[in-house]
Amino acid sequence: MQLRDYILRRLLVLPLLIIGVSIVVFTLTRVGGSPIGIYLSHEMTPLEVAEIKARFNMDKPVWVQYLYWVRGIFHGDFGWSGVAAAPVSEVFPKKLAATLELAFSAGMVALFLGISLGTYAGARLNRLPDHITRIVSVSGASLPNFWFGILLLIIFWASLGIAPIGRSDALIFASIAHPTGLYTVDSLLAGNLTAFWDAIWHLILPAITLGFGATAIIARMMRSALVEELQQDYVDAARAKGLAERIVLKRHARRNALVPTVTVIGLTFGFLLQGTITVEIIYRWPGLGRWMADSVLRGDQATLMTYVLFTSVLFLLVNLIVDVVYASLDRRVTLGK
Amino acid sequence: MTQILDLKPVRKIAGAGDSAFRVRMGRMFGLLKRLASNPTTLIGMIVIGLMLAMAIFAPWITEANSPDPYQMPRDWGAVRKPPGTPGHWLGTTNEGGDVLYGIVWGSRTSLQLSLIVVSSTMVIGTIVGSIAGLVGGWVDEVLMRIVDVFLSIPELIFALAIAAILGPSFGNIIFALTVVLWVKYARIMRAQVLLIKNNDYVDAARVIGDTKLNIYLRDILPNSLTPITVQATLDMGNVVLIGATLSFIGLSEAGIAEWGVLVSEGQAGIASGRWWASTFPGMLIFLWALAFNLLGDGLRDALDPRTEGR
Repeated sequence: MQLRDYILRRLLVLPLLIIGVSIVVFTLTRVGGSPIGIYLSHEMTPLEVAEIKARFNMDKPVWVQYLYWVRGIFHGDFGWSGVAAAPVSEVFPKKLAATLELAFSAGMVALFLGISLGTYAGARLNRLPDHITRIVSVSGASLPNFWFGILLLIIFWASLGIAPIGRSDALIFASIAHPTGLYTVDSLLAGNLTAFWDAIWHLILPAITLGFGATAIIARMMRSALVEELQQDYVDAARAKGLAERIVLKRHARRNALVPTVTVIGLTFGFLLQGTITVEIIYRWPGLGRWMADSVLRGDQATLMTYVLFTSVLFLLVNLIVDVVYASLDRRVTLGK
Repeated sequence: MTQILDLKPVRKIAGAGDSAFRVRMGRMFGLLKRLASNPTTLIGMIVIGLMLAMAIFAPWITEANSPDPYQMPRDWGAVRKPPGTPGHWLGTTNEGGDVLYGIVWGSRTSLQLSLIVVSSTMVIGTIVGSIAGLVGGWVDEVLMRIVDVFLSIPELIFALAIAAILGPSFGNIIFALTVVLWVKYARIMRAQVLLIKNNDYVDAARVIGDTKLNIYLRDILPNSLTPITVQATLDMGNVVLIGATLSFIGLSEAGIAEWGVLVSEGQAGIASGRWWASTFPGMLIFLWALAFNLLGDGLRDALDPRTEGR
């Protein structure tokens, strides 16, 4: 199959998957009881109840209700968030910016640490650094990030008192404008280094907590890919022509080992996305994850639906991009049947 | 390939006169020996053994709370005690819950959670995957598209949404995880069926007139169990990890003896230096998941020689 056909096919399947996800999400909320329950009370006459039902189209068949819901989404109507006391569509972008900032930083930590750890271990197969990396990568997949975060807080916040909690210092945060919603970017745009430092300072611990699991996945993949590359003939050839080992490793083997590592980045993205929920709870980070957790506990269905739909679509898109990048990077990959 | 000329003596595992039972036991023993020869796998098995012992002997380690032993006992006379306090060796929480009690009985909660979820997802996934692989055609197409949709929603978020809709209870967490996790097994099983279906020995069975059901039960199913077993082992740890995360967020009943709930309860105290109520139960979640991950990796290496050394 041609690369172009492959991309086309994936793009055609994507809307079908999104429709599937939306049906699942819609079904979930109907299982959870009537969404107009909050508007009803026992003192109402049957006529009044019927009136409310008609007003929210609840008297129509379920599939019509589904279509109404989808139409609402296309018009930017995601419902009312009880937790935020505002329309979901209004609060969502602000919370999203906070979460993206956190997830992006964590992703950077994971990429940098994962690739360097994996390279370091892969080049020293079955020696001490390799064993240590293996322990780190196996434990990374088993580590509950909420526990890891609490341990870091116990040490750096409660005992040593050097790490802050939350996203920002309220006074510094209020002193600059927020056109993008990303605190680090906004502070740089405002040219305010105090604010930038404040943003970074608040980001460090949450980013490490969130990025640890992804680091482990990337390091593991990088290591095994590098070990495989180092056994190839071209590596021997490069060594034979007298290139320094460092060059052979970095310019030749590592560059090729990065190709299969790309595939796990999609996987780590899911890891990061899910991880934000607990990490944001622990660090009191005002993002999507904590909003979701609050909504879950307080029965805020509109927020819940939007969140599940949004994360799934994002997850699908990232995986699509990763697959396409991988396919175009490595010509040996066979596409489809 | 000069394997035929290789006349190294082969260690005898089973001979012609051995019964099927003895052959199986011999294979089991061989597998166990291979697993135990890998130090990290051995560590995993030891930790799992200790955890199981703790779950089984829970009433002998800490006296069961009545009437419901899975509810944390509250000792209001001893709140916020540090570790080392007589009677509360690992300290107590803000609400006077004994941390040791939570850990010991929490191991039973975790064992229940993982056993129920893993066995039910394994059965459902195996059935769905087998049907898709064997029947093929539009049935396969429909089933696999459903699987694709389920896999498009991130695991934890999907489980969280289901548990949230059903309301906070440990039973609902079990249900939610079952709904989310069966798809993996369906996918693995389908791939295995397609792989095995075209083997010569299956053709041979078909030629001699074996029934379809018999071919499935005797040839296809047993031969596809390897990847399913590995996945199930990894999931034993994974399920507890996700379950504890959901409990931590607040989707269990309050006061249940569960590790994630305890970590959440202990979180309030860390600002005042009470580190123990979160640290110990969280460590158990970590050890549990780690042990099953180590065993799962070891199992994969032992059962599938292709991945050795990875």
